[in-house]
Amino acid sequence: MAPKRIGVGGGDSSILAKIANSSIVSQGRNAACDAVYVSKKLLKSTGKAAWIAGTTLLILVVPLVIEMDREQLLNEMEFQQTSLLGTPPPAGGMPMY
Amino acid sequence: MADLLPPLTAAQVDDKTKVDEKVDYSNLPSPVPYEELHREAFMSLKADNFEGLRFDFTKALNQKFSLSHSVMMGPTEVPSQSAETIKIPTAHYEFGANYFEPKLMLIGRVMTDGRLNARLKADLTDKLIVKANAQITNEPHLSHAMFNFDYMGSDYRAQLQLGNSALIGATYIQSVTNRLSLGGEVFWAGVPRKSGIGYAARYESDKMVATAQVASTGAVVMNYVQKISEKVSLATDFMFNYFSRDVTASVGYDYILRQSRVRGKIDSNGVASALVEERLSMGLNFLLSAELDHKKKDYKFGFGLTVG
Repeated sequence: MAPKRIGVGGGDSSILAKIANSSIVSQGRNAACDAVYVSKKLLKSTGKAAWIAGTTLLILVVPLVIEMDREQLLNEMEFQQTSLLGTPPPAGGMPMY
Repeated sequence: MADLLPPLTAAQVDDKTKVDEKVDYSNLPSPVPYEELHREAFMSLKADNFEGLRFDFTKALNQKFSLSHSVMMGPTEVPSQSAETIKIPTAHYEFGANYFEPKLMLIGRVMTDGRLNARLKADLTDKLIVKANAQITNEPHLSHAMFNFDYMGSDYRAQLQLGNSALIGATYIQSVTNRLSLGGEVFWAGVPRKSGIGYAARYESDKMVATAQVASTGAVVMNYVQKISEKVSLATDFMFNYFSRDVTASVGYDYILRQSRVRGKIDSNGVASALVEERLSMGLNFLLSAELDHKKKDYKFGFGLTVG
């Protein structure tokens, strides 16, 4: 019903409505286009920044963390060794043979 | 000033040891004078990143004499006319011999592309050290030699440099207090008729070292190193050239652990680089080097092994 009325009855008003509509719609469309454009750029630059940050951290931080972990492991083993060697006098007879 | 003299002479012994500790090591010749001035900063910030494979083998035949073999394979950059630098894969082998004695040090290296590099360091007397460095190539007009005469005073050091193609330079550095030392340099190069003068200052304490250097070629270099613990030190560097308006700032760290040494640096030119040296077993070191240049999108990675 409504489309027919638009088509037949208020021809002018419908065209005016269309124009009004379309100005808002066109503004809306422009806004949507801008939003899509901006969000694309944002995504791209975020992606670029993430890539740069990720690879730089990979180079600068990961070897350091690995080496620090190894150092910690070495420290623990040494601590264990010294504590093992530290306790023998009271109970040293048993595990020796 | 005269009544200040007695305490100053006592302090000068400390200054001498400080000065000794500064200008003692001369393993690598460096074209810039005052290499010892920036030594701590350059240990973290100017790690030698390489690209490709590097293998070094040093065999000690004697207590004093050792031979070294070194293989390097990888792309090397060839400067070209266009903005892009071209990388050409090259491989070469270098044979070297070292002779170390308390008063005399001789190092020679020969490469497969015909380059001969020889270095000499001799302690003529207690206070006078002679250093010579020569590089001879097949191509004409590319060989050069340089002689340095270092005189070590009680709290100062003076150096005279003579190079081929009429290069004369002199540097002088003096400890002003326990921690502060100031120095200056003058050089004159015959071929591009240029002369230059520069000043440098270095302030150090137990935990930090700060240096600044200005030269009439327009280069200003300032750096600061903070030693956070025995194993960790952080360094930052700022250099600019007031003629060409080139500015670079960089921040780096240096972790010296028992089994490895990790150095990393990030630059204001968008360059991040890291060098990891790991001790796999006694006398066997494994090297990994990485350099990312985000601006030019140039990535270089290298690995190597050092034996002996």
